Formats: sequence, structure tokens, C-alpha cells
Amino acid sequence: MIYLDHAATTPLSEVAWRAMEPYLRERFGNPSEPHAAGRAARAGLDEARVSVAATLGCAPAELVFTGGGSEADNLAVLGRLRDGGRVVASAIEHPAVREPLRAYRGEVAWAPVGADGVIDLVALGALVRPGDALCCVMAANNVTGALQPVDAIAELCAERDVPLHVDAVQAASGSDVRALPGRATLALAAHKLGGPKGVGALAGPGVRDLPAVVLGGGQEHGLRPGTENVAGAAALAAALHERQGPEAVAERRARAARRDRLEQAVGVPSAAHSAARLPGHALLLAGVRGDVVVHQLDGAGICVAAGSACAAGSTEPSYVLSAMGIDAAAARGAVRVTLGPETTDADVDAFVAAFTGARTGLLRAVGSVA
Amino acid sequence: MIDLGRAGAVDRPDGEGRAGGGACDDRIRFTLALEAGRIAAIRFGADACPAATAAAAWLAGEAEGRSLLGAARLGSQAAHAACWIAGARLGCIEVAVDAFHAALGDAVVRGARVPGGGRLAVAMSGGVDSAVALAEAPGDAFGITLRLWIDPLAPDAERACCAPGSVRRARDLCHARGLPHVSLDLRDAFRTRIVAPFVAGYEAGETPNPCTSCNGSFRLHELVTVAERLGADRVRTGHYARIVEIDGVPLVARGEDREKDQSYMLARVPPDVLARLEFPLGRRTKPEVRARAASLGLAAAGARESQEVCFLGGGDYRSFLHRYGSGAGDGAIEDEAGRELGRHAGVAGFTPGQRRGIGVSAAEPLYVLRTEPDRNAIVVAPLRRLGTRSVALRDVVMHRERRRVEAKLRYRSPAVAATLLGDGEKRTLALERALFAVAPGQTAALYEGDAVVGCGTIARAVPDDDGLVL
Repeated sequence: MIYLDHAATTPLSEVAWRAMEPYLRERFGNPSEPHAAGRAARAGLDEARVSVAATLGCAPAELVFTGGGSEADNLAVLGRLRDGGRVVASAIEHPAVREPLRAYRGEVAWAPVGADGVIDLVALGALVRPGDALCCVMAANNVTGALQPVDAIAELCAERDVPLHVDAVQAASGSDVRALPGRATLALAAHKLGGPKGVGALAGPGVRDLPAVVLGGGQEHGLRPGTENVAGAAALAAALHERQGPEAVAERRARAARRDRLEQAVGVPSAAHSAARLPGHALLLAGVRGDVVVHQLDGAGICVAAGSACAAGSTEPSYVLSAMGIDAAAARGAVRVTLGPETTDADVDAFVAAFTGARTGLLRAVGSVA
Repeated sequence: MIDLGRAGAVDRPDGEGRAGGGACDDRIRFTLALEAGRIAAIRFGADACPAATAAAAWLAGEAEGRSLLGAARLGSQAAHAACWIAGARLGCIEVAVDAFHAALGDAVVRGARVPGGGRLAVAMSGGVDSAVALAEAPGDAFGITLRLWIDPLAPDAERACCAPGSVRRARDLCHARGLPHVSLDLRDAFRTRIVAPFVAGYEAGETPNPCTSCNGSFRLHELVTVAERLGADRVRTGHYARIVEIDGVPLVARGEDREKDQSYMLARVPPDVLARLEFPLGRRTKPEVRARAASLGLAAAGARESQEVCFLGGGDYRSFLHRYGSGAGDGAIEDEAGRELGRHAGVAGFTPGQRRGIGVSAAEPLYVLRTEPDRNAIVVAPLRRLGTRSVALRDVVMHRERRRVEAKLRYRSPAVAATLLGDGEKRTLALERALFAVAPGQTAALYEGDAVVGCGTIARAVPDDDGLVL
């Protein structure tokens, strides 16, 4: 199997496995207990917290481990909006942010993106007002891979004293992710960067004054009660360190070069091509149904993702692509290919051959339906 | 993985079928080439979801090399089982199956023949009666369903993009028995030959009977013609009527179930067509058939009866005429002396004997006596003026010349003894007792005993004040 769907999830990296393995068996204790088993687990949790905080550039007290990326996003959004207020969010947010906002009864202003899939800073600047309860943006879009100008947005929000939440779940897999100043928070998920599923983090100075929305035993500064996933936290720390450390630079460059070669070889346009993107990310616009291409590639032993999915008898175009002004027919042809650090040149070659074969056959099928 | 090797189109195809383009936005097309009744090549076009595309590819692969009837055994359940795709619904598969069967049917409509003979065809409507007829048919039988035009604006209108539910039900019933099913798209011909005269008849002030015309000159004729091409010299239908042979001539006769008797509807079926038909339900009652269907586990056993004119799709014929008629405007409602009593919105909405919709208050209740479309007038009269004993017929066909007959002048009215006067295509029917609201345009079925010996179309009814029978 050739796995080119790293934006969906990633295999567990060796360092992550080595970091978590002890806490699954010999150091299994509950960190809240004062006995030896509990103390051993607590030490591991503290170590993981210090490590992640150091990688992100925040204080350990500004970091809570969560049950994943969506949970981290929800804790930030629902916590900030517990007492109401206006929100500004980009039109391309992940459902983990978008859906709580759609369910929110207060005012939500959606900031547009350009044709390149990048948030329009001028428009966002005009929307964010002092007194707003929250501003939400993502550091890199999960569909297109387009990197977003989060530093400029953080500055803009800090000037107006508006809390900022940054969904960095996708970004952390291949771009530098740092805690932001002001009252900002940042969400991470381990499984997007070589860690296990079911663990994430919410980090940044904004964690200190974030109201709790889940109540329980008071763990994780009271923001995320429940017995801590020590193994998961240890794995997240190790995986994040590997993806954000100095040796990641060369790996990202190699990944981007493979991605560029792939895009050239398939000869179809990519969405957000003109934007700075995550290194392994390509959203191909195949010109034939993306879901059928995905099916064909699956048959050839290659895992990729469709950009849009058929739901209840009608194909809903991705709201991300709609926001970029890509029409429904083109959006239906979206195929998301995301390379990982372990992707090889041979994987890329196999993909190109299978994609081209499937596309040729499907073009014939589409051409014969009229 | 979907085999795209048969993606494409056959040049100058012998059969072509399409489906889709509705809400789901999937579109499938098949083209096929025949050699000696076998599918020599079949290609598919698809702009569709993985499940529909996979089903199309599978059907093409399975069908190539088969005879038309062999290919007609392939259906939704088999396609669904063969090309399992996570999350795929049967509805996705059906688009491909509809297009595939449309191509097979088109090949047959274009004249394709299947070698061999001695087979039996069962005409399937998707309802309980034909389901029982099929269940009792021999193992080399096959089903045929005609897809006829239905008003797309009617309440029960079927999706125009795919085959209607009735066709799919009929197909599934056949496939559940492992039998082939052939569906023929006769929507255009049906509209020209049955629906257009229906509209024209009303506009000419008559009350047409599209069902007797359809049975007499269209539907059953198409069925036996097509069945013969597919090697079937006999066609079974689920009608409640019998066929009797008198002096070597096959005649329609009343069914055992007098409540359901459909002999009137079949009155115009010519003997050469009748000679090829079988009505296995003619000696049974509807409750017996329902019980039989239930014991056979047929899902159609509890299905709702369809008695209305099929193309109205459960709608009202007046609003249908409003949509498809020439739309002659309002006019006068008059008494027999020509005095205007009120106004109407169009003559096409009225039939003799009708009381509803007149909206005129008078000393005694008034009924439509006749419509006069050339003057755009409706003539109304009291009930006693609506009786008639003398009925002029046109287009008379006698399979067995008789003077003394029983005449049935509407589907739901009783037969009365009558004498047939004159000869040729235009004759007069002298009724022994007056009948209420005899409508020009309706079929007059002429019986001797239970057998229909002839028929004609009511041209005119002469009012008769005396002895009205209601």
C-alpha cells in the first residue's frame, strides 16, 4: 500500500512509539495519585508538558493536553463564547471550529479568502473590532494546504485586545508552529504529525484565562478533566519535537520537491497553487470525478482523499473550494494528495502512473455520456 | 477497482440508453452493438459517483457476449452485490441499471430479434396482478414492461430522469425469479397516439376513453409485437377478463370477478392480437389473487389499486386539460332554449351527466346535457332530459354480427339490452330502456352473453324523456 493521505492521519513514528510505550505498560499509573505508580506517571506527564511548551515557546502552565484536535478547538471556541459576544472567523475553518460557530447563537462574521485560498487580511482587519469575543483562523488549511498569515493576524488581534484561536492541527505537520502573543490559543493533534490518535493540545497565553466548558476532576488546569493520557502526551511531545526541530527543515524541503514533481507529472491544475503551502500537500483538480479517482487509486493500492464527497444523493461541493470561487464542477474533481516524511520517489511515480491511467479512462467515460 | 476498459461508445449503436441527471447529478449512458441477437459490444459513458460508475462497468462486462434476454437478467441486486463500494446505496446502482435496461429496450424497439421461440412473455405493470401472473409463469418466461408517458406535473409524477418505480418493481420481481425483464420506452408514441387524441377529444366536446383506445390499438399490440421478436408467441397479462373462442374467433369475455371485470376496457382488442394473449386471472377474484400474492411473499400484495387513467398520474383530468389543451377560454352555460344561465371556464372540463362545477342555481338540479365546443357553450338540463334510448355509433367493429346485444356504454355502468340497427361502421343502438348521461366519445362495448362481439364509439345520444333508468 502506498499511503498519500497524510492530511487525514499519519502512521505512528518511531520516536512517538518509543516515547509512549513505557506509559502503556510499566508506568501505567494515574498521575493524580501520590503513590509511586502515580508519581511515575506524573513525571512523564510533566516532562511531556515541558517539552511541548518549549517547542511551542509558551509556559508549561499555558498548555493543556486534550483528547484530540477537534476537542482542543471546541474547548477554545466554546470557552471563549461561554458569555456571548461577537466572533470573526475565516470562511475556510475546519468543521471543528466551523460547526460550533454555526451552532452559536451570537453574531459570527465570516472573513473571505482569495482565489489562492489565503485569508484576505484587509477584509479580516476590517471585520475584527475591539470588544469582539473571539477571532478564529487556521494556520494551514486542511483541504488546500495553504498557509495562513497567522503572525499578522495575531498582531492585529493583540492590537484590538481580541482573543485569537488558531487551529494549527494541519499546519504542525509541515510548517513552523509557535505559540502566539496576546490572549491567543493554538490547537494541535498528535495523529497528524506521527503521533497516536486521541491526543491533542491547546496551548498559548490565552489558556490562562479561558473559561472551562467541561467540568470534572480538575485535571489540566480544570479545562480538560479526566484521567490524563500520559502515553499520548509523551508521544505528542516526541512527534512534535521531531516535526518542529532543526532536522525537519531538510525533510520538509525534500517533501515539497516530491510534491512539486508530482504536480508537474500529472499535468492537472492544483488549487491554491500560487499560495505558500504545506510541503506535502497538493489538491489536484482532476477534471473527472474525484471520488471515482480515489476509488480507482484505492484499487491500485494507493490511498488518497477526495476533495468533495457525495452525501445523501447529491454531491456537495467543499465549502473551502466554494469560498475560493472554484465552481462546483471543478470542485467535484478535487483529489487531495498529501505526502509524508516517509513518502519515496517510487511512491510518487506509482501515483502518477495510476492517476494518469484512471483519469484517461474516466475522461473517456465522461466524454461518452453526452 | 472499476474496469474502465469498456468506457466509451459504440459507433452507430443498435441500442442506446440513458439515465440520471436528476438530483444526484449522476449520468450514465450505454451503447451496444448486436450480432445475431447477441451483444457483440457494449460500452458505457459515466459522469457519476463511484457506485454508479462501478455498476455501469460491471453491467457492460457481464452483458458482452450474452443474448439480449440473457443480458436482461442482470439487475440491481446482482450489480449491488458484485460491486460493493463502502457507503454506496442501491439508488446509486439503479441509475446504471436503468440506463442499461433502457439500452436493451431501445435495441428491441429498433427491431432487434432473439433467436429461438416458444417462450412466454408476461406483461408486468409492477402491481400485484401481473406479479402473480409472473410467479405462476414457467421458467423460460420473461417480463415486459412498457414505459408510458405520465404527466410530469401530476401529483404522483415519477422522476423523469430515471425509470419510474413501477418499472423498477416489475424488473426486480422478474430478477428475483431469475427471469429476464425488458422495458420499452414508448413515451413518445404513447403521447402521440393516446394522449393527444384524448386532449383533442375533450376539445371536440367528447368524453374520450383513452384506456380502451390504448388497449385496442396500442399497448397490447406493442406487447405481442415485441414479444414475438424476443421469441415469445404468447403474452400473459394480469387482466380480469377471459378469452373465449366462438366459431374459431377469439373474443374477450367477462371475468369471473364481476366487480373487477375488465372486458369493457379490452373491448377494442382485435382478434389477431387476442389470439396471442392469455389472461390467467380471468377465472379468479381479486381477493383470491391478493391471497395468492401474499402466500407467494410478493411485496406488491398490499399495493394500492390503480384505476385512474394512467398518464394523469393521480391528478385531476380537468387540470391536465388546462395544462395541455389549447386552452379555449370561458363561455356560456345555457339551457336547451339557448338562454344563458351562467359562465364556465372551458368546455373541456365538462362531461354529460356532470353536476359539479356548473354553479347555476335553478328550481331543479341541472346537469350537463352536452358540450358544444364550436360555440364554446355548455348545455344543461334537468335530470329527466339526460336519458337516452337511441345512441348513434361510429367506428363500429363487429367480430360476430349480431342484432340483439347487451350494450355497455361506460366502464362503471351496467349493460342494457339493445338492438343494433344498420350496418357498416356507422350504426344506431336502440336501447330497451333509457340510460342516463350517455357521453359521445366513450366506447360502446357490445356483448352477447359474456363475450364482447363488437364495439363502437358513441357519436351522439338522442335525448329521451321517458322511462329514465338511473
